Amino acid sequence: MSWRVRVVHTTGYRYEAPVTQSYNEARLTPRGDRRQNVVVSRVETTPATRAYRYTDYWGTEVTSFDLHAPHLELKVVASSVVETGEENEPNRSGSWPDLKSEALLDRYTEFLDWTPYVPKDKELAAVARELRKGVSPADAVLAACHWVHQQLKYQPGTTGVHSSATDAWRAREGVCQDFAHLTLVLLRAMGIPSRYVSGYLHTKPDGAVRETVRGESHAWIEAWTGGWWGYDPTNAIPVGPRHIWVALGRDYGDVAPLKGTYSGGAASALDVTVEVTRLA
Amino acid sequence: MTAPRPSKLFDGYLDPDRPHADAYDEMFTRDEGVRSAYRALHESIAPSEVADLNARSEALGRAFVDQGITFSLSGQERPFPLDLIPRILTASEWAKLERGIVQRVRAMEMFLADIYGDAQIVRDGVLPRRLITSCEHFHREAAGINPPNGVRIHVSGVDLVRDVDGVFRVLEDNLRCPSGVSYVMENRRTMARVFPDLFARHRVRAVGDYAVHLLRALRNAAAPNAADPNVVVLTPGVANSAYFEHSLLARQMGVELVEGRDLFCRDNLVYLRTTEGERQVDVIYRRIDDDFLDPVHLRADSVLGVAGLLNAARAGNVVIANAMGNGVADDKLVYTYMPEIVQYYLGEKPLLPNVDTFRCWLPDERAYVLDHLEELVVKPVEGSGGYGIVFGPYATTRELNSLRKRIRTNPRGWIAQPVVQLSTVPTKIGDRLVPRHVDLRPFAVNDGNFIFVLPGGLTRVALPEGSLVVNSSQGGGSKDTWVLAPRSSTVERELAEPGLAGAEGLAAIAAEQGPELSTAQQQQQQQQQLSQRTEEV
Repeated sequence: MSWRVRVVHTTGYRYEAPVTQSYNEARLTPRGDRRQNVVVSRVETTPATRAYRYTDYWGTEVTSFDLHAPHLELKVVASSVVETGEENEPNRSGSWPDLKSEALLDRYTEFLDWTPYVPKDKELAAVARELRKGVSPADAVLAACHWVHQQLKYQPGTTGVHSSATDAWRAREGVCQDFAHLTLVLLRAMGIPSRYVSGYLHTKPDGAVRETVRGESHAWIEAWTGGWWGYDPTNAIPVGPRHIWVALGRDYGDVAPLKGTYSGGAASALDVTVEVTRLA
Repeated sequence: MTAPRPSKLFDGYLDPDRPHADAYDEMFTRDEGVRSAYRALHESIAPSEVADLNARSEALGRAFVDQGITFSLSGQERPFPLDLIPRILTASEWAKLERGIVQRVRAMEMFLADIYGDAQIVRDGVLPRRLITSCEHFHREAAGINPPNGVRIHVSGVDLVRDVDGVFRVLEDNLRCPSGVSYVMENRRTMARVFPDLFARHRVRAVGDYAVHLLRALRNAAAPNAADPNVVVLTPGVANSAYFEHSLLARQMGVELVEGRDLFCRDNLVYLRTTEGERQVDVIYRRIDDDFLDPVHLRADSVLGVAGLLNAARAGNVVIANAMGNGVADDKLVYTYMPEIVQYYLGEKPLLPNVDTFRCWLPDERAYVLDHLEELVVKPVEGSGGYGIVFGPYATTRELNSLRKRIRTNPRGWIAQPVVQLSTVPTKIGDRLVPRHVDLRPFAVNDGNFIFVLPGGLTRVALPEGSLVVNSSQGGGSKDTWVLAPRSSTVERELAEPGLAGAEGLAAIAAEQGPELSTAQQQQQQQQQLSQRTEEV
């Protein structure tokens, strides 16, 4: 069953002293694909700016804008209406030998390589070897997601945006970003091409129509086992109608929702709110 | 072949016991005959007294110090040593090089456009995707930036060496911020002052109009809507070792020399702060590295670049020359695939061969390299200026062992080549002229319609005896590089045709004599050459 969902994401910065020369890029526009249809989407800023839109290397819609008038607060509101798709079934058509083929290794090389957020780790590689023993690649993905779900405690505050998968693993705590990164370490250690997905989650499994819930910025993973399919390790659930995806990349670094530079006083993040409403 | 006159200067020049005795000498054949390019030069120099040469050599050195032309050697500023004896290329040798360089630049332009677009060459399985994505200078931020006239390699420098058979081979490409062209122009100016007599006896093609070609290419690069494009040269500042060159080029082109803080972006337009207010900038000839260009996308701590520059280029409001991300085409591992690249895009064989290269990232070739380290030159894929290169034959066992370890841990990071015995040219060391090894870096300027190759280029010479490392950062010097003008007039060619008694010798002298050509004449000649070339095709 598919849902029609409205997402209003508010984010931004508050500054101690007036800021000028602020250059920013927002990656907040949901993408359309076979299982998601974007009905409408816009990104607005306060103070108002002339936005410029482009599609980056990873296919993400980027909104870039700059601000030169002194300002103490920058607010970015991204709102969109999206039709989401059915629950994602694991793709079981790929075998381990398929994953070893030279053509595949080359094609998905970027989703098999280590990154600062998804570093190589001996201990985790040993875990990955255990998890893949005797099961198909698709089941190995599920096993990795469930293992991460069991090992990590969902606890905001211990890790930050710059924490890597191993930082979270040592702390045994983290947020969705860390759950996704840690899963990617395991999958790439197994030789399964896998990528980071950022997006939103409607928090109620049986959300009522027209009810607005406090949603969250979310992250999950996609793996290639004969075809791409997603799974949400933070909640140990398949990616379904409650998931609205925005961007794909090797790790968080490729999909950061809002980044930029400015000159002026120290910044503190505004309260991020994500309001998700099921429309149909 | 004229018999060499006895001369003290050249005493023992072709000593068979000298290091790398197999190397191709550009002045003398193996039987001590003088090659045709150098005949007139040899005739003028051989009879001179040592004292005369010393006096001229001092004049050269003084001229450089007076003009403040220095380079930094491990942090210390020194005058760049210019050798007395020029390096000479005949018109036909040069025509071949020129064709080869133009072909290479054309292929690499298409390669870059493809890599930062659909990457068709990867989809067609000609190159592995890994080769591209593992390049340190492959910048995903540059994907989708399409320059208005399609040019990404506005200026390139192709490093050439000559092997034992005298064949020119490409050692590496420089497509990011190739430097050294100021030395080419200054070397010529200084030589013309110190050796007016030699220039009277040779028809040497001019290099002084480089800035004209560069400016034309930069103006052509601007979006067509910019009627009178505003071009600036972006320098990292006075502390940069090539600052002299940046200021020289800006001055000769008559454009502003700016630093990052002089520019700013607003709504994807780039402006220059001037005393008369803001002025929009259309083309930036930048001499700072990719990583520092734009703190929004790249190094956030960069103060050399301009925030927002990349998106301004993406929006088509400014042109960055050379384009961002060109490093993927001059990566030393990508270099080894150049024959495939030229074949794929142009359907041609490369006119200039590469130096044979072993790729450590392929298991078979790595095994060979590890077994033969003591015969090979091993180079890091990243890095320039000769840093990090290991010469197997001269390395100690300990150095080789540590190198072996480094290759094993990062095979993508290394390539290996047989020791190329670079060609030699007489060079004044003390009171004698002795063979020293040289390379050549010609400069090509692409204006979108025509790829201009500056006749000559920078000849670097390794001054220590037997040394094969020519980098200025490793104690090298330079030579003025002369490209002789071709016998261009049909009258001369008709005269030179067989049947006229004694005409052959006369024509040869005529070709190598006469005053330096004016710019207009040069261009005419090039056009003639061009039309000849199209006729040949």
